Amino acid sequence: MKRYIDNAADWLSVINVAVLLVFLVVPIVVMIGMSFDGREYMGGFPPSQFSVRWYVSFFSDAYYLRGLSTSLLLAVIATVVSTTAGVSAALALDRYSGPGKQALESLFISPLVVPAVVIGFALLLFFAMIGISDGFTRLVGGHIIITFPYTVRTTLAGLVGIRKTLTEAAMSLGANERQAFWDVTFPLARTGIVAGAVFAFAFSMDDVAVSLFLTSPDSYTLPVAMVSMMRTNFDLTIAAAAVVLMIFTFTLILILDWTIGLDRLIGKGVFRS
Amino acid sequence: MSTTKRTVLLLLPGFALFLAFLALPLANVVDESFRFFEPGRIGSAKDAPYTLLNYAEILEPAYLRYFAETFRFGVLSSLIAIVVSFPIAYSVARQRSPWLRKLAIGFFVGMMFLSTLVRVYALQLTFGSTGYAHFLAGVLNVSPNSRFYTELIVVFGLLHYLIPISVITLLGTIQNLNPRLIEASQVLGASRLRSHLSITLPLCVPGLLSAFLICFTLCLSAFVIPMVLGKGKVLFVSNLIYARFSEIADYPSGSAVAITMLIIALIAIYGITWLVAKGFSNQDRGRSS
Repeated sequence: MKRYIDNAADWLSVINVAVLLVFLVVPIVVMIGMSFDGREYMGGFPPSQFSVRWYVSFFSDAYYLRGLSTSLLLAVIATVVSTTAGVSAALALDRYSGPGKQALESLFISPLVVPAVVIGFALLLFFAMIGISDGFTRLVGGHIIITFPYTVRTTLAGLVGIRKTLTEAAMSLGANERQAFWDVTFPLARTGIVAGAVFAFAFSMDDVAVSLFLTSPDSYTLPVAMVSMMRTNFDLTIAAAAVVLMIFTFTLILILDWTIGLDRLIGKGVFRS
Repeated sequence: MSTTKRTVLLLLPGFALFLAFLALPLANVVDESFRFFEPGRIGSAKDAPYTLLNYAEILEPAYLRYFAETFRFGVLSSLIAIVVSFPIAYSVARQRSPWLRKLAIGFFVGMMFLSTLVRVYALQLTFGSTGYAHFLAGVLNVSPNSRFYTELIVVFGLLHYLIPISVITLLGTIQNLNPRLIEASQVLGASRLRSHLSITLPLCVPGLLSAFLICFTLCLSAFVIPMVLGKGKVLFVSNLIYARFSEIADYPSGSAVAITMLIIALIAIYGITWLVAKGFSNQDRGRSS
């Protein structure tokens, strides 16, 4: 009886994994397949003819290209600004141990708690009130605030592991505080900083909810361009655009794995050495 | 330079960003939410009188429907997500082959990072009219144009987004569970299923609850998924806020909905923090005993 129940449970768990893999992977496969569709009409999956014309159409469409270049520029600016501010805030929080430390920390993480639509809506009203109507400036503001908490959090997590004695040792061996920081603390904290920057870049590239409120006709991101095409258009250029966006995401994950290691990011838990 | 002065200087840029792009805009939304709105304007007038009307409106059935819909989809999808993810997270956490473990973690992290828009479009192609809509609708014996089918696809969209996140979240919980406890119960004669039900599950309750709440808050703020996959038939609170901006420019009402949504999200997140704190003290007990 015991073995019978365990076998049934094993089978159930195998079926669960199989169904889940199909559910998660098949849509992606369908999308990649359809992006290489060579037919003249919108047909079913799998395509009977293959071509790269949707990619040609994506890379020659000024509307998408403008979105892509705005997205990349925006992601770079947002990542640089929020990483700089985030690292400096994390350094201060790590050293500081007075009253209100916890409160300051949750204050800096708080943009994560506010739903993206609420941030977008609030920034729209705020920029209108102070008279900023330039789309790109508004987008920069929005993307900085949604990426900032990630950089604070990962840097802080990276700094916690560094023992104070190491800096003290460097200083007792004659380094001044600046040397101790650049030669000891910074290299050790680098993984946390890189992880934060990669997260920031990824979330900036992905955002729709905040950007949709802040775009203007001449400043829009690639995801916003894709959303508006999805509503009106039924050609497969969107599939090609989605595959391009996906390649960016997976490149970022590879960078994350090379620099930090996904295992270290997730942690192995207390009961594994 | 004194230490305090340097700390203040280091905190300054982050604090300025917080103030300019979050605190002040939100304060402005709170103010706007109490303003009287004249139909036909864009936003409220500069000296519009204060009123509670925008909040009273939310209690009307037409508005409550959006909240009810968001909650219904959120609870249902989060429940399915954690039930499906738990056994998977368990087998990844206890995976002996380092190669398989890395592959599985890489897969779920990759799926987690996948752009929401890419996900939504892939699901639309797969389950839309050119994809397997007729097949799936045929199996379920419904029309691909029915409301039920649209709702199903929205749930699929939410699950595609939530499952990788809950697997990764639960992985952390399970890894911190002492495997000796399960071994002990099996040595004492329990079946594997029984020992999981009476030991693993109860010890994971705080982790499961916080995974549920994480999923639920993500559903609350989901925006692109209902917008694209819901085809106008399924609308969440976030879509209502967007409509207040893009369709009728009733900013005061949009503000009141936004503040209400923010308060609900804060309550859910406060719940998570509390549960996580509780979970840690539980685990300490499990470890020392």
